[in-house]
Amino acid sequence: MISKRLLVFLVCFILFDLHVAVSSPGPTEVLKPTLEGMVDVIRDPEFAGADHKKVRREKIMSIASQGFDFTEMSKRVLGKTWRGIDEKQQQHFELLFTKLLENAYIGKLEGYSGQEIVYQDERIRGAKAAVSTLVTSSGTEPFSVSYVMLQNGIGWQVYDLNIEGVSFLRNYREQFKSILRKDKFAGLVKVLEKKNATLEKEDSE
Amino acid sequence: MKIRLITQKVFFFAALILLCCSFGCAQKSSTGLVQDVVVENNEEPADAMDMLLDDDFFDDEAIVEEVYYDPLEPMNRVFFDFNDKLYYWVLNPLNTAYSTVLPWEIRYSIGNFVNNLAVPIRLVNNLLQLKIQDAGIELSRFLINSTLGVFGFGDPAMLEFGLEPKEEDFGQTLGYWGVGEGLYLCLPVIGPSNARDVVGFTADVYTHPMVYYVDDFYVSAGYYVVSRVNLLSLNPEVYEDLKKYSLDPYVSMRQVYLEYRRKKIDDNAMQRRTDNEL
Repeated sequence: MISKRLLVFLVCFILFDLHVAVSSPGPTEVLKPTLEGMVDVIRDPEFAGADHKKVRREKIMSIASQGFDFTEMSKRVLGKTWRGIDEKQQQHFELLFTKLLENAYIGKLEGYSGQEIVYQDERIRGAKAAVSTLVTSSGTEPFSVSYVMLQNGIGWQVYDLNIEGVSFLRNYREQFKSILRKDKFAGLVKVLEKKNATLEKEDSE
Repeated sequence: MKIRLITQKVFFFAALILLCCSFGCAQKSSTGLVQDVVVENNEEPADAMDMLLDDDFFDDEAIVEEVYYDPLEPMNRVFFDFNDKLYYWVLNPLNTAYSTVLPWEIRYSIGNFVNNLAVPIRLVNNLLQLKIQDAGIELSRFLINSTLGVFGFGDPAMLEFGLEPKEEDFGQTLGYWGVGEGLYLCLPVIGPSNARDVVGFTADVYTHPMVYYVDDFYVSAGYYVVSRVNLLSLNPEVYEDLKKYSLDPYVSMRQVYLEYRRKKIDDNAMQRRTDNEL
């Protein structure tokens, strides 16, 4: 009698596990459609050109925010300082930082033509994962980009990019540290706003 | 009386459980103290992917670590600004003229020639790091490229035979054998470096055949300048992108340089140790 109940319990348990495993997508399965979606919008002639820039960027960023966790990035790039500011400041910073990333990296991505992304490897350790890709683009040598992802309530999301061994989050964190030391959070916000304005002006020229 | 005893027991157990939890937390934060990527002494060699996952840099926010050592920052910033001016006033116009005159294929061939000449540096340093197989690959590349590749202007070793260059220099050799990078330096003209890599660079100069075949300093220096301009012409946007997308380009360059060098040393140590196990 007891063993039968145990058997039923075990079967239900296994089925539940299988269901969870099948229904929650892995890191690469989340990353691939995100990146491909972004590249598709960039290549779409309907959204090409400077006059469609606003619509194009909005589309790209809405796809990006599915696979990229901008809140986590903003939190980690500030480090200790994140805990020292109130929620309104946090949201404002996240907005500015996301805009910086959009101007810098989406702008750069838009400049590359004929790029192919090859998904090479995936490694999962607990709630952390790394997906390595190779980007080939005409006119440059292929370079490797690794995405470091975290599993949060929504699923797998990217919080850091690693290009040829250089972590972009750590790079910005060190830059911000240097600015925070001199000018504090208010100074950092000013620098970010100025940088975004400069990048947007350059783009529209 | 009895209720008080039960309350005491509950408290005692709660405290015990909390104590156990704190042990677990203590473990986590102690691993957070290790800033550099840890090379684990497992049987299975970890590779670049494992390094990314082992990186605890962002997990523990409470600790403000120094991941680099830059006591000469004021002086370095002066040289950084000098190099910046040099770039915009000299290198960039030179590069524009150079790229206009020479098409991409020729500049790429010149790049191959320059790389081929530098084989002794890579060969010696692979050997010094006991990477015998990689040293062999470099030698093969040299022989193939110098003959089939017509004095090194082509790179059939990579294109036809799939032999990739095994880049090593003396700075990496020193790093491999445990010499720390020391303080960060931004040198005029040469650019970002550190205490160890300056020694490495000097040693590399004497491992390069140029120094033995050409007595005239100015010819050697001229060769160095041309090879750098050529390299810049093949990757023109690197410096300007760095400036465009960073808020503090000096810090950005320092970070990029240090992480890139560390990856070259560690990455080689772990990934290729398996290749070279005798």
